[in-house]
Amino acid sequence: MKSNANKTAEIKLLISRIVVYAILIFLSFLCLFFFYLMLINSTRSNAQLQSGFTLIPQNNLFKNLYNAWHDGDINIPVGMKNSFIVAMCSALLTTYFSAMTAYGTYVYNFKGKRFVHLFILAIMMIPSQVSAVGFIQLAFKYNLTNKLWLLIIPSIAAPATYFYMRQYLQATLPIDMVEAARIDGSSEFKIFNQIVLPIMKPAIAVQMIFSFVASWNNYFMPALLLNKPDKKTVPIMIATLRSADYSKFDMGKVYMLMVMAILPVMIIYIILSKSIIKGVTSGSVKG
Amino acid sequence: MAKQNTAVKNKSISYARWGYIFIIPFFIVYAIFTLYPQILTVYNSFFEYYRDGLTVVGPRFVGLQNYKTLFEPGAAGYVPIFKYLGNTVWLWLLGAVPQFLIAMMLALFFTSTRLNIKGQQFFKSVIYMPNLIMASCFAMLFFSLFSQVGPVNQFLVSSGAISTPINFLGMQVTVQTLIALMNFLMWFGNTTILLMAGIQGIDESMFESARLDGSTSTQVFFNITMPLLMPIFIYVFITSMIGGIQMFDVPQVLTNGKGIPNNTSTTLIMYLNQFLGISKNYGMAGAVSVLLFIVTAILSIFVFRTIRADNK
Amino acid sequence: MKKLLTVLLAVLMVMALAGCNSNKPEPAPAPTEETTAAEGSVLNIWTWNTEFWEFLGEYYADEIVDEYTLKKGDVTIKRTTYPSDGGAYQDALDAALLNQANAAADEKVDLFLAEADYIIKYTNSDATMDVKSIGVTDFSNTYKYTVEAASDANGVVKGVSFQCCPSAIIYRRSIAKDVLGTDDPAEVQAAIDSWEKFDAVAAQAKEKGYYMINTTNATFRIYSNNTTSPWVKDGKLNIDAAIEAWMDQSANYAENGYTAYTSNLWGDEATSEMFATGKTMCFVGPAWYFNFCMGNAQDAEKGCFGDWAICQGPQAHFWGGTWMLAATGTDNPTMVADIMNTFINNEEVCSKLVSEKMQFSNNQKVNNKFAADASYGNAFLGGQNDTAVFAELAKNIKFQNVTAYDQLCNEGLQTYFQQYLDGEVDRDTAINNFKDYIRTTYPSVTVE
Repeated sequence: MKSNANKTAEIKLLISRIVVYAILIFLSFLCLFFFYLMLINSTRSNAQLQSGFTLIPQNNLFKNLYNAWHDGDINIPVGMKNSFIVAMCSALLTTYFSAMTAYGTYVYNFKGKRFVHLFILAIMMIPSQVSAVGFIQLAFKYNLTNKLWLLIIPSIAAPATYFYMRQYLQATLPIDMVEAARIDGSSEFKIFNQIVLPIMKPAIAVQMIFSFVASWNNYFMPALLLNKPDKKTVPIMIATLRSADYSKFDMGKVYMLMVMAILPVMIIYIILSKSIIKGVTSGSVKG
Repeated sequence: MAKQNTAVKNKSISYARWGYIFIIPFFIVYAIFTLYPQILTVYNSFFEYYRDGLTVVGPRFVGLQNYKTLFEPGAAGYVPIFKYLGNTVWLWLLGAVPQFLIAMMLALFFTSTRLNIKGQQFFKSVIYMPNLIMASCFAMLFFSLFSQVGPVNQFLVSSGAISTPINFLGMQVTVQTLIALMNFLMWFGNTTILLMAGIQGIDESMFESARLDGSTSTQVFFNITMPLLMPIFIYVFITSMIGGIQMFDVPQVLTNGKGIPNNTSTTLIMYLNQFLGISKNYGMAGAVSVLLFIVTAILSIFVFRTIRADNK
Repeated sequence: MKKLLTVLLAVLMVMALAGCNSNKPEPAPAPTEETTAAEGSVLNIWTWNTEFWEFLGEYYADEIVDEYTLKKGDVTIKRTTYPSDGGAYQDALDAALLNQANAAADEKVDLFLAEADYIIKYTNSDATMDVKSIGVTDFSNTYKYTVEAASDANGVVKGVSFQCCPSAIIYRRSIAKDVLGTDDPAEVQAAIDSWEKFDAVAAQAKEKGYYMINTTNATFRIYSNNTTSPWVKDGKLNIDAAIEAWMDQSANYAENGYTAYTSNLWGDEATSEMFATGKTMCFVGPAWYFNFCMGNAQDAEKGCFGDWAICQGPQAHFWGGTWMLAATGTDNPTMVADIMNTFINNEEVCSKLVSEKMQFSNNQKVNNKFAADASYGNAFLGGQNDTAVFAELAKNIKFQNVTAYDQLCNEGLQTYFQQYLDGEVDRDTAINNFKDYIRTTYPSVTVE
């Protein structure tokens, strides 16, 4: 009797495991399939693409690569350079200054500290689009369109990153440590830069990655501000592919351009996926 | 803990000014690059101000005229902003409902000691991956794959499933499904990971005592997991909703900004973007922004509450 | 404390600026000594595609530096390109021209291209210059409509077109043979010289398993070019009877399966019909269409080079045309004039455009020479003398009923009407959606 019950339980467990793995495999397939198709199609010529469907790579990879790199309408090398500058500078500024602001409201007791903290939390949810109208109006007025720094500097004030840093400090930085450093005669900036920042390294790394990715993928504001071909970022260029008058359609090249647009982020992800996934949870909600 | 706090208090008096120094860059940048433009946006909404070819019309104070125009029905008989707000919520729901259901399910799978899933790191890496894909690129990819001469139709026709290509990008059902599918793919992994963390944060002894009481796993889920997970669930849900209100890249690129068909995939931000197009209509765009602000502000109050409740 | 803050902010600014400045393209070569009459060392051309740019590189410049830069003497010619779709090009150009006075000399727009759909916006503004004042004076060989199109309300000429764009029906010879029993241009023309006949042939083609046109948008220009009233009349949006007629035809073609697609003319769906495997008999386009849009037909593996011919079709019309306009404030007036003169009056260059690029030039003398040359034939069209056909068609071109809003009206109507053709909305809704689009896009246009 008992062994029978055990056996049924075991079979039940086995079946549920099979079902669960099947679901997981199906969802993984769904996540990868479209990108796999993109990769395959980036190895095919326009004529090959028109002639049918395949899952096997073909021989046009280098030709597509060359055509995409030298396209007359879409200057992808310049786009990648611009995107990289904006994403990198934003990532550096946003993490450094968010850490600094978080340190400011965590370590120091000043008048209005509670208000400041709550204020930053309150503005965290305001969509960036709400300031877009005024922002581009000012940009046009002061002739600042097509200036990449205009996309970089605002990242200093990043409420969400502040929130994450603040949580991290709360969990990792004992105030005693700051006190001890003060007794040693370190200045406040020295303490922040030489003692606190190293402690925050893991948080900074994670936020740098997220900030880099967000900025690399950002489309709405850059599309309104950048219109000079030598200043455009990658997402704007990818969106022009959709423009109807992108004639002389060479779909092989189009797929290749898309591969190029997401490749940098994918490389980062393949290397750092473990810590990125950890980063998703550790800051956003207090568990 | 108490000792530490008093220590901070004693010392902080002389260091208070440093607090201001550390937070001032944030506030200067915020004031110049966000707050001032926001105020200007609101200010603009009371003016007639646009470009007609090479002529700039306005700015001329018109009071609430822009808001009046915003709430007027168009030639098609409906008030555009209401329809687009409805679209935005609907498109978000289409993706979010499966997103939360499946994320909840996966979170339970991954945290189940009974199932003891192997290769968790791999599965998590794969399902989170689409979250990092450039949304505009993702949409362009779907546009290419689902075009009438694209690989999906080629496959369906050559396998004999259909005889003539399906116009995926011309029909309301398919366009909305594709948008929802993309949003789902981009976000379900993220949600899974967040909910998992929430479940893992629940005290293990709660589950054990329930099991000792002879509760079934369904009972455990509804009596223990769900109630304790609620604050996090609500937080994730409402942030997802606020993200949904801002939906832009995917429908914009997929439909080339036209919200085809019949404006059923035009979102609020796409409407805003139309005003900022060739006529740079700052007045009307300002009015749309104010409305967007009000909607998100209401939602934010909920988030704010959950954070505070959670912080206690 | 304040000091520290200032230093910090300064460092920050420098950091950011340094990061961005490194991104600037290599500075333009410093003006070597006194260039011709101290004119600018950089000539900026604005375009919405690369068609003219390629001709400029081949027939005018001394050196092609890269995809975006040419050299002519000491002057660097730079290209700024935006997609035309959705008005992106106009939008960017407007912003640049409004800012022209404040722009640095090397950043100023010197020469920009414009299409018939919106050229009037620029010719009727101070942003463009009288080209006679910079030395473009000889219009004796250009087609009259190209000069009218580039003139302002007072008849002052602001630019020139490097091409003349009478448009024709471009048909597949093999399919025409199968459907009509002939591929002779004169006989095909006789079979489709009115819309009634055209529709009748469409039905015949359907019976044989072919499509008459690749997409319903293909015939749009034929109708829109023969309107009797403009898109915007007295500040109000106006849908002309000819546009209504196009909608009727499109509905008919979509319903009866006379068209391969209802989608955009430039998309990969419509152009996929140009491969040898395509089932479409007729395409519509001017001379520039061959090279610029029919790449698939010329594909070495899957194309059908030589299986084509042209005839006028149901109604005379033109399509497109690329005008060069001189921007007020240019610091290179001499070279701007030189480029314009080269492409309308240099017979050698105009001849090459015809013989090497399948263009129909804007020089009547050159075109007529090719038209009269019995030995001249276009291999893509199976040896047909297309210049002779276009020379005839060019006589009937009318430049009329134009407004500054035409591009987005034309684009918008086709996009929104397609949803009706696809069966997603009823006809009135499609038109009303179009009206709402115009209402949002152009606050200055009244929509009823």
